[in-house]
Amino acid sequence: MSQNQSSSNSFTRRRFLQYSGGLALSGSLLAACAGTGAGGGGTANGNSNLPNLTQWYHQYGEKGTEQAVRSYAKNYTKANVTVKWVAGVGNAYGNSVNTALLGSSAPDIFEQSALSVDQVKQGLLAPLDDIFAAHKDDFLPASVKPFTVNGHVYAIKMLNDPTFIYYRKSMFQKANITKIPTTIDELIDAAKKVSAANNVKSIYIGPDAGVDALHQIAIWASGPQQDLLSADNKVIFNTDRVANMYLKIHELNATGNVLPDATDFWWSINPFLNGSVAMQWCGLWAMPQVVTALKDDFGIFPLPGLDAQSDPATVDGGWAEMVYAKGKNVAAAKAYVESLWIDNATVQKDWNVAYGFHIPPRVSTSAQTDKLKTGPAADAVNILNKYGHSATPYWNAAMETYLEDAVSKILKGGGTASNAKTLLDQAAEKCNTELQKEL
Amino acid sequence: MYSEKKVEPMKSLSTPSQPEIISLRNDTKASRQRIKQQNRKAALVFWCFAGPLILGLTVFFYIPIIWAVVLSFANARATLTPTGFVGFQNYIDMFKDSAFTSSLGTFLLFALFIVPTTFAASLGMALLVNSVKKAQGFFRSVFFLPTACSYVLASAVWRMGIFSGTDSGLANTVLHLFHLNSFDWITTPTPPWFWLVLVTVRLWLQVGIYMIIFVAGLQEIPRELYEASYVDGAKKGWETFRAITFPLLRNASISVLLLNIIAAFQAFDEFYNIMFGGNLSLARPPLVYIYQVAMFNQDFGHGSAGALILTIIIIAFTLLQGRFLGFGKKD
Amino acid sequence: MATLVSQSMRPRPHKPKLTTGKVVSAILRYGTLIIMALFFLLPFYLMVRNGLATEMDISSPQWSFFPGSLHFENITELFSDPDVPFVDGMINSTLVAVLQTTGQILVCMLAGYGLARIPYRWSNTIFYSVLLTLMIPFAVIFVPVYVIVSSFQWVNTLQGLVVPGIFSGFTTFLFRQFFLSFPHELEEAGRVDGLGYWGIFWRIVVPNSGGIISALSVITFIAAWNAFLWPLAVGQDSSAYTIQVVISAFMNSQNVNMHELFLSTAIAILPLVVIFFILQRFIVEGYKQSGLKG
Repeated sequence: MSQNQSSSNSFTRRRFLQYSGGLALSGSLLAACAGTGAGGGGTANGNSNLPNLTQWYHQYGEKGTEQAVRSYAKNYTKANVTVKWVAGVGNAYGNSVNTALLGSSAPDIFEQSALSVDQVKQGLLAPLDDIFAAHKDDFLPASVKPFTVNGHVYAIKMLNDPTFIYYRKSMFQKANITKIPTTIDELIDAAKKVSAANNVKSIYIGPDAGVDALHQIAIWASGPQQDLLSADNKVIFNTDRVANMYLKIHELNATGNVLPDATDFWWSINPFLNGSVAMQWCGLWAMPQVVTALKDDFGIFPLPGLDAQSDPATVDGGWAEMVYAKGKNVAAAKAYVESLWIDNATVQKDWNVAYGFHIPPRVSTSAQTDKLKTGPAADAVNILNKYGHSATPYWNAAMETYLEDAVSKILKGGGTASNAKTLLDQAAEKCNTELQKEL
Repeated sequence: MYSEKKVEPMKSLSTPSQPEIISLRNDTKASRQRIKQQNRKAALVFWCFAGPLILGLTVFFYIPIIWAVVLSFANARATLTPTGFVGFQNYIDMFKDSAFTSSLGTFLLFALFIVPTTFAASLGMALLVNSVKKAQGFFRSVFFLPTACSYVLASAVWRMGIFSGTDSGLANTVLHLFHLNSFDWITTPTPPWFWLVLVTVRLWLQVGIYMIIFVAGLQEIPRELYEASYVDGAKKGWETFRAITFPLLRNASISVLLLNIIAAFQAFDEFYNIMFGGNLSLARPPLVYIYQVAMFNQDFGHGSAGALILTIIIIAFTLLQGRFLGFGKKD
Repeated sequence: MATLVSQSMRPRPHKPKLTTGKVVSAILRYGTLIIMALFFLLPFYLMVRNGLATEMDISSPQWSFFPGSLHFENITELFSDPDVPFVDGMINSTLVAVLQTTGQILVCMLAGYGLARIPYRWSNTIFYSVLLTLMIPFAVIFVPVYVIVSSFQWVNTLQGLVVPGIFSGFTTFLFRQFFLSFPHELEEAGRVDGLGYWGIFWRIVVPNSGGIISALSVITFIAAWNAFLWPLAVGQDSSAYTIQVVISAFMNSQNVNMHELFLSTAIAILPLVVIFFILQRFIVEGYKQSGLKG
């Protein structure tokens, strides 16, 4: 761009501001415009001898998180780190990252919740083996698997988010339920009892009959060796056990006691707190709110298994840090990632439990975190360690759509075991076509 | 002078509207001659007027469109650089993909329903508003106000405030007044009440702007035309509407229809925000599916192919209505 | 009656008389309008009602149409929330919307006039190619456009937010349709006075197009104000958030903050409501002008 044009731009902007004094408040945006564009603004230390790094976070909901990540960046002395707090609901943040990686102003460091094999194949992501390999055993296998392609690790977990069922102890007592459900039939039974005894809806699993919340976890809870994709990259979710598990969740929905829809989605704990339900599917992040509202009148348990042969299950969800391979300072970026999520246990603890509730992915760190040592929080750590699962990186958004469409039909429509199996077979065939494009 | 022409509605569509009659009278042969001589100068002047727009469209539309066309014939995953050309394979894949074809089918039906409904509602409201003398501006403002609300926010209000399936939703509160049970508006496949939710939010948001276009058209119809037709014995109401109002609203009607069709096929935000998660498969617009393929899955080859299929369908519908209404004609 | 006739300047064939039929029809028309108006205003009421409620009340089974109490402290909470740059978002949106509207009206009015009036052999082809841009779903060319804009180093800048939104096939189309029915004799008069296209456009056409300009300005301003997908991608940092992006924060994945969502929605549309009510009179006047000309 010619100098001429940029100076005339800033001239009109100045004029514009003169005529409308109050607008000066928005200085940060204007400063970014007048500066060099992508690199300008932010909280960098400004030491010109150090490498410049841009780091992206999605907008976390917990108060204080933005200030926290900006202070981590400020306290780091080996690079000027500019933090961008990127907006986006649902998948929008991930889309912003994906798009930015294709353009000319990609971030050096960014978090994502899943790894894209295609991005690895395009050489967009830097392998992090050199900083990660020595500490691999200190992470849960489920925290490593989703970010490993051909033996190389491309992301380091920053926080783990298991999901599970919150229940009210007092309501369970009133219904004479003494044992936490360990099979899906026991859950259905408990739902009927607790609903009748307390005159409330039994459980909330989201406004879509549980499709979004449970479609993956139900597979893992249906039995040993049940998964989305196998280790040798075959589609394996279309089994009778999985079909039966989905039908059981349909049966739960069909009891008529399930809260069919709420103002909130399943990840907001409000329906549980305002007394609409006795149980709710939600995540660890909601626990501080629950403790404040209900003190010790609540407990948690994972999604029960299909029958005696299967274990309960939860997901090892959360966010992981990645490094852009085509950035100008890849080594410096890796060093910063290492300092945050490998070396600095203080940052890891602060980040995971000071604002909301998450589990530090380093097992040694999570074991030292006081807030996670007692009560339901300790249960959550146990549940994650024992029953945490995750999908391989080859499981992608297209397959997710195919599976969700099929599961939506089963959970809402029901039908026979063979119908459900047929729907899963059809979805598996589509997923297989998609999988072949990735391999 | 217009009253001699008792125009039939169908015929009137091809009859030049009033300003065009004037233009025909004034374009004398001499002035046409002069224009021919100044052709070259006119071209220069034309580009002075249209140049900035065309330049901008080239950078922000035409180059990206050509880019998308190229990608639609190629493999391009997590990159915008084609990694090998595959001919029409991406198109074939999209037509084989039942999720895509069923969403196209659903949205043909949706367009066939929502376009006439929006058209009739906005025209009816324009006539109604235009027919009263007092507080006309107030009513016009009220009906136009929803335009100020974005689709994302309106979806949130509809999803969380009006049609939530709990006792806290407005719709269910109204049901309780009649001693009916709470209703699950969005999440059940049968009966498909979610269409009521989706259609009402779209009408609420869109009707106002089309109504304004019609009101503008109505106010440009010279009053003399009606007065002359009353002298000829025509009655107020349906007769004058058929003979005068509707034919002279041709330009407004064309604009409204065209924009409506395009808007129906480009439906995105309210579906994306209201039919969340496992509910989206109940009513997934083609554009949302394309977006999932291109943005979530980073598959720009298939995404672009799907987008171009959708674009061709939109163009086909536009041309179809153009055949009937003579849209975009200059004279 | 005499005053009425002299005011309207035109002889009327019928004297308006109040008959029973007319009264009934007026009551019916006003009745329908009022009922419809209530329905149209209902969602706005909900925004305010839920915006001034407690978080628990919004989703509680005891929800009622008229709440027991209104929590006006929600307003101060919203404006003082350090995690939500609400004021900055409003200012950024104003800046973007004003600049985009000015640019778009200028560029598209020029093009619309050129397409409608200047005899040029390719003008129809160009018109159709402009229409084509209307039919391309923006979400689809989104990524290439982003790559182009980022190659200009426009990400996180004001020009990145504003410029791509200036070139609108929609606004051009509406301007062209309007200029097609612009009275030729006015322009002819200018031509007799020795004006060229440029002079005719600025001295005759623009001054007589106040109605359409204000109408399209309102529409453009609203579209710019409500844009979401593009500002989300280009205004990446919290300093460059527009108000829509700020509001979307209340829907973030872990914590839907509903009373703030409803309240901020209500506040975000307030400027548009004010603008519209102010310009409303002007638009009406503009249309009346053009009605007299026909």
